[in-house]
Amino acid sequence: MLKLLAAGLVASVAVIGTVHLASADPVTITFRFNDTEQEVRGAIDAFQRDNPNIKVDLQRIGWKDARNQFLREAAVGEGPDVAHVAQVWVIEMGAAGATLALDDFIRKDPPPNGFADFAAQDLAKGRDGHFYGLPWTTDTWAMVYRTDLLKDAGITDLPHTWEDLRKNSEAVYKKTGKAGFGFPAGSSASGAMWFLANFYWWSHGKELIVQKPDGSYAIGLMPKDVVECMNYFKQFMDGGDNPKTNLAASDAHDPAIIQALVTGKQAMGAMPPNTYKEILKAYEEANPGKSIPFASAPFPHQDDTKSSMIGGRMLVINANSKHPNAAWKFTKFMASQAVFAQYYRTQFPAQTSLLKQIDFGAPLKGFAEQFPHARTWGAYASGPAPIGTLWNVTTRTFGKALSGQVSTEDAAKELFAEIGKQMP
Amino acid sequence: MRDRLFITTMLLPAVVLLVLFYGYPIFDNLRISFTDLSLLGMKKGGNWVGLANYRELLHRGDFSHILFNTLIWLTATSVLLRLLIGLGIAVLLNTRALKTLRLASVARFALLVPWATPPIVAVVIWRFLLERNGFVNDALMGLNIISQPIAFLADMRTVWPSIVTIMLWNTVPLIALSLLSNLQTVPEEYYEAAELDGATNWQMFRFVTLPFLMPAILVLGLMSVFWSFNNFVYVWLATGAGPGTFTNVLATEVYLKAFVDFRLGYSSAIGMVMAVVMGAFGILYLRLVAHRQLEETL
Repeated sequence: MLKLLAAGLVASVAVIGTVHLASADPVTITFRFNDTEQEVRGAIDAFQRDNPNIKVDLQRIGWKDARNQFLREAAVGEGPDVAHVAQVWVIEMGAAGATLALDDFIRKDPPPNGFADFAAQDLAKGRDGHFYGLPWTTDTWAMVYRTDLLKDAGITDLPHTWEDLRKNSEAVYKKTGKAGFGFPAGSSASGAMWFLANFYWWSHGKELIVQKPDGSYAIGLMPKDVVECMNYFKQFMDGGDNPKTNLAASDAHDPAIIQALVTGKQAMGAMPPNTYKEILKAYEEANPGKSIPFASAPFPHQDDTKSSMIGGRMLVINANSKHPNAAWKFTKFMASQAVFAQYYRTQFPAQTSLLKQIDFGAPLKGFAEQFPHARTWGAYASGPAPIGTLWNVTTRTFGKALSGQVSTEDAAKELFAEIGKQMP
Repeated sequence: MRDRLFITTMLLPAVVLLVLFYGYPIFDNLRISFTDLSLLGMKKGGNWVGLANYRELLHRGDFSHILFNTLIWLTATSVLLRLLIGLGIAVLLNTRALKTLRLASVARFALLVPWATPPIVAVVIWRFLLERNGFVNDALMGLNIISQPIAFLADMRTVWPSIVTIMLWNTVPLIALSLLSNLQTVPEEYYEAAELDGATNWQMFRFVTLPFLMPAILVLGLMSVFWSFNNFVYVWLATGAGPGTFTNVLATEVYLKAFVDFRLGYSSAIGMVMAVVMGAFGILYLRLVAHRQLEETL
């Protein structure tokens, strides 16, 4: 009997010891981030200091591979605990069962100022009504101008209409020999022409994907709308004011475009604020003490139309995460005011309350003016066509038209046929 | 009988391993190609659609364009040029003049640099060289050959020659060095005898050097066809299959369908078509060309 008691005591001590040790053991979660490490390193270190029992391993991957890699891993029970994703991917990822519904966390342990404070909530809400992502940053695009080149071309006002934009771009090229509106016209499945085409359509009160009153989805444009948009952007290529080499550029942050703006070889660009900040920084470093010859402004729009997107990133938690509580704690911390104020300063937060506190400053004024004329992707993201397919079809068909591979009419027909296949 | 059993038993593990290693992925890819499996539906799996993916592929309006790009530009042009330039460099490096000037070793070492450069790095380097303010445009403008920069990787007139140039830069050294090592095995007496018979340089090359090199050329040619036909890196990194879809090839189409449109089933069908084309080429090549040439040489 004594032996039995002793054995029981030893076993109990062992169990208690194990439990105690387990609770003291640090939990390791992985965070997959798709931009540069230095942007979030400070925030991660601060989180680990505040939460010594949670270690965060940072993984990095390029944006182009981020979505596919995460989906592949999640399908076989792997992947990072927390992932940095584009806002428009969240609904698809939720439907694929790759991400965890966050409703319980949001209800029991909500972020400061509540979930209602976040922009782009429609893109966080899955088709089953659950929330699958926490909006993290916003990167509404706007137009950026080299004011010195505009002045050299005799332009005093920033353009307010698409026609003015075209005329000014042409004038810069003809009068200074520099590129006018140098936009990335590449054909890879990136956001290059996709964004510009949609901004153009939205500003004219039209949209590519619409949700009908009965809940079904349809193409909201006529072929002539697509042809008109293709013809508009083709003028820049044919006129030479957007260099033909930009047919090989597929991102706003293409080095050739950034370099051309920094060195004054290009007068106009379209981009998100973090790319613009990089350009300002590069200019200041190359020209210390000089005044900054840059200004930003909204894309052309009418009083009641939008001309840019409330785009941005969200944080999602992997459905396979073994430490969902720690992952949520980290996610919530990354969306806090302290992170945006002290560490992650290249992006704007997705909370309305935090956005209001930001002093955009003169060069970024145009981005602030763009916000009221920006919209979320709405039906584009909740509709039946994968957003990547929409990007690919649009940029490919625009690429074909802009490069002269086919006529704008044929390219528009192809765009309709390919997107039409995606509509049930 | 016992010997046969023993040999079979000894071979069995290797055969099983090969079947598992090569056979299973092929079989699984074939199975997926008959489904509508999506990257977003991997947990659920795909539904059986029979030959629908194959029918769609073969009836696509741009299938012939993609096939033409793959067969003519990516494969035939690059392989022929690779063999011709590689042979030329090998012969040059084997000349007495180069050896006398002690430049052969330097040249061989220089050839190793592009060969040792990973394809991804090679493409990045060439993208810089070919861009608007890159070295090539600067040089051509400096020499007054052109007045405006050429959009090498975006202009339909220059994009394929540019991609092929990048491929050649990266892969010709392997061909050249392989042929050079074969050239060095040709007995000197053959040339001496030919010289005594009054053969010209061209005749010596045609009737002495080339027959000796033919087996190596055939093997390198066959390997090059497989490398080129299946290649994804050069086109994808250089142009992303653009402008538009102008440089789209089967390998980039596989990627686009699988990882942009999420259609793994359809993408697998393209992969199977590629495997069948290459399999047919391999069999035809071995039966009609390589077998006869090797027999003649031996």
